[in-house]
Amino acid sequence: MPAPIETISPPAKAEKTPPGGFEFGATAMRLSARQWLIVIALVALVVTSVPRIWKTYEPFHPGPDYRIPYALSKDYWLYQRRLERTSGQNNIYIVGDSVIWGEYVRPDGTLSHFLTEQSPRHNTYLNCGVNGLFPLAIEGLMRNYAQTLQHKRVILHCNLLWMSSPRADLSEPKPQAFNHSRLVPQFMPRIPAYSADASERISAFLDSHVQFFAWTNHLQIAYFDQHSLPEWTLQDDGSNPPSYPNAYRNPIEVLKQGIPSELANDPDRGPSSRRHKPWTTGGAEPTHFDWVDLDHSLQWNAFQHVVRLLQHHDNDVLVVIGPFNRHMIAPEQQATFEAMITQVQNWLAQNQVQYVTPDTLPSEMYADASHPLTQGYQELARELLTNQTFAKWANRGAK
Amino acid sequence: MLFFKWPFLLFMLVVLPVFFSLRKTRLWIPWLLLASYFFYGWWNPYYLLLVIYSTALDYLLVALMDHCPLAEQPTPISSRIARGPTDPFLRAAFAAAAVLTILLVCGALLGPPSLRPTFAAFSVLVFLMAAGARLASRRIWLFISIFNNLALLLFFKYARFVVQNLNHVFDWLNLSFKLADPSTLMPHGFSYILPVGISFFTFQSMSYTIDFYFGRVQRERNFLRFATFVCFFPQLMAGPIERAKQILPQFQKAPPFELGNIADGLSLFLVGLFKKVAIANYLAIYVDRVYDNPESFGGARLAMATFAFAWQIYFDFSGYTDMARGLARMMGFNLVLNFKNPYLASGLGEFWSRWHISLSTWFRDYLYIPLGGNRGGTLFTYRNLLIVFLVSGFWHGSAWTFLIWGGLHGLGVILTRELERSKFYRDRVPIYAKRAWVFLYVSFAWIFFRAASLDDAKLIVTRIFTTAWHDPRLPALALALILLVWLYEIIYESRVQDLLKFSSLRVGLATFMVLYLTLCTSGGGAFIYFQF
Repeated sequence: MPAPIETISPPAKAEKTPPGGFEFGATAMRLSARQWLIVIALVALVVTSVPRIWKTYEPFHPGPDYRIPYALSKDYWLYQRRLERTSGQNNIYIVGDSVIWGEYVRPDGTLSHFLTEQSPRHNTYLNCGVNGLFPLAIEGLMRNYAQTLQHKRVILHCNLLWMSSPRADLSEPKPQAFNHSRLVPQFMPRIPAYSADASERISAFLDSHVQFFAWTNHLQIAYFDQHSLPEWTLQDDGSNPPSYPNAYRNPIEVLKQGIPSELANDPDRGPSSRRHKPWTTGGAEPTHFDWVDLDHSLQWNAFQHVVRLLQHHDNDVLVVIGPFNRHMIAPEQQATFEAMITQVQNWLAQNQVQYVTPDTLPSEMYADASHPLTQGYQELARELLTNQTFAKWANRGAK
Repeated sequence: MLFFKWPFLLFMLVVLPVFFSLRKTRLWIPWLLLASYFFYGWWNPYYLLLVIYSTALDYLLVALMDHCPLAEQPTPISSRIARGPTDPFLRAAFAAAAVLTILLVCGALLGPPSLRPTFAAFSVLVFLMAAGARLASRRIWLFISIFNNLALLLFFKYARFVVQNLNHVFDWLNLSFKLADPSTLMPHGFSYILPVGISFFTFQSMSYTIDFYFGRVQRERNFLRFATFVCFFPQLMAGPIERAKQILPQFQKAPPFELGNIADGLSLFLVGLFKKVAIANYLAIYVDRVYDNPESFGGARLAMATFAFAWQIYFDFSGYTDMARGLARMMGFNLVLNFKNPYLASGLGEFWSRWHISLSTWFRDYLYIPLGGNRGGTLFTYRNLLIVFLVSGFWHGSAWTFLIWGGLHGLGVILTRELERSKFYRDRVPIYAKRAWVFLYVSFAWIFFRAASLDDAKLIVTRIFTTAWHDPRLPALALALILLVWLYEIIYESRVQDLLKFSSLRVGLATFMVLYLTLCTSGGGAFIYFQF
């Protein structure tokens, strides 16, 4: 008689199979439909209430020269909060990219600072620029995180740098990594340079439409060095082998530290920094730009959307065009650039949008194609305040 | 398409409602098949052809087998060849296969150079089919099915490994002869990559033909139903490896819509998602850094990374299985249990009855028992066990490290088999000591499974035992998560398991898991077992 066939390794004890023949599993927790409803209710409660409660717990007092710190540029929840924290009739919001934010200067060297300082009507100009923005991202920021920007006076900066090449316009059909990709339209219009997979796009879409996700991003960016909590505990300190300094740290203690502020003496910014120097210092010369036709420009199209969106929210909008560093444009391209400016002006005029086109600053006041240095901002503020259109607009008070 | 990514959620939001709305029509099986093919095609639409090919061939082979007499005919082969089949279906099959063989041979000799190897391979296959039809032999159809499935597996998974090793041997023998890389055999436009899930769907399809041959299952006449069995999307990529007798009956009639199934499915899916995203992906960061660069780390860090990998692979794979079972359950289907708290096993043999159960039982039924199982004495049994574990190791990957991993488990099971059966081991050795021993041994074997090369594995083993031990810096959070699940499992298998039935505890844990997943996780890689 043959020996009984055995399994390779028989189980130590037989599991009970429930009626219906479905073994649920050892680590699985079986919840009934009713229990699931309770879970969903609890999660919904937390998701809707915690971000609101958090605002009362987390101290945040932006001063007059406050700008979103460089390290928190992608913290759009904080940006939203920054807009919520401002009130007062004399406030004027300046929205734009790193030119408004002040790439090479300290908070007291920005356009908003000098406008506030020189304002004859004691208006307060708020720096609502974000480092690394561009019109496609500004559109996303305004649409999803600036709902409180209503019935306000808003200066919108138009930087033609973003139309200076198909690459800057993101219309070049070659994937590239760029800042604030989660703010750009994820599905329509299609951005040829944006190559994120479907999962990333849906995730970005949800981030911008669900407050809770924006808040969790805020926690990650503001407290955990832009990492998720698990990644933060394994953050590499560069030593070999890595010592993971956060491995045993209590994350609750980290949350108690408050929102990081800008470095008091940022070595990369301000007159004493090595970067704060005229664009010609390194031997740069006028160059040819591969200007994009505005009728086909993604960035210009997005800029138009931003203007309409701000107007739709009943804001009193004034657009400041440039001043682009024309010293950097090759002489034979000056006419093309001039034609672009005219096209921009015409569109703004057709849409009843007030605008100012400041003169180009002296060459030594630019750090690159579009960013002024501290003195440049000071000069620009002076010029704007003496501009009749600007002065009339700024002096007429909030809506 | 990964279960924990947003596109999959959208996929399910379309698949589930349509499935439920079609369940009273005849379209629910075509819909499941379409969804499954879309799911696989999302990864690589070209390789979907491979799944369809494997499915269609096995379906056809079983149909042909069904037209052959159950018992092999006693007449000599020569007279059977001369006489030919009496069944008209087999006669037609023979004629078609014979013509196709001639055409394929012509293609292999005269066709476009990039397609010649493909034509040659198919000409062999179709020639065998012609022979099977002529001889009206079930055994030949079975052989073709096994040959075809293993050929797919061998070509896509092992060919490069075999070629590289043979070329090393040729070098060693000072022969100038070199075998070409298998990628040169691919038809124009197809790249040589490992098709995701190939080890799973080929095994599943092959088990059907074997079971039919031995009369253990009925022939499935509906091709769409059979195709859905082979590529049912929840378990297509990484199992559990289902049997026809378990799944095909469930596909005969659409299951009713039940809220309880949805709740059960969600419960399984949530736990699986938590295991994968919250724990496995987290541990992967720690493990990858160490195993990618083992020479930079000391003994404690290497040992801890090895333990962490033991947990990572468990949470990764069992997490996938939980999600797969949960998805199927939501639709009303039951997939087999694949894991039963393997790290609570008190013996190495028991470990394999708790770990990747569908694979263990597959090897038991289709390899161990056909080899003779334990029917030939102790040494014979040990030989069979070792063969099974070596094959199992090789199934996991085409590298010597996998073979050693399988060998270590085989040796471990053989060496401890008698001990584990002894009264002393069963009654005197404390259960926690037995569990600790199993965990340590299994973790040691994982070194060979995870290491990038044999040299790395040797280096890791050496350094664990020879270098100074310092703080391994495994984050407290990771440790807490592991301990949480371990504690749950220990309670589950203890006398106080009723504690886990408290409604408030379950609701609390589920809420915690959902919130943790929302708050604390980001990104993560594919499932480890997708590469097998």
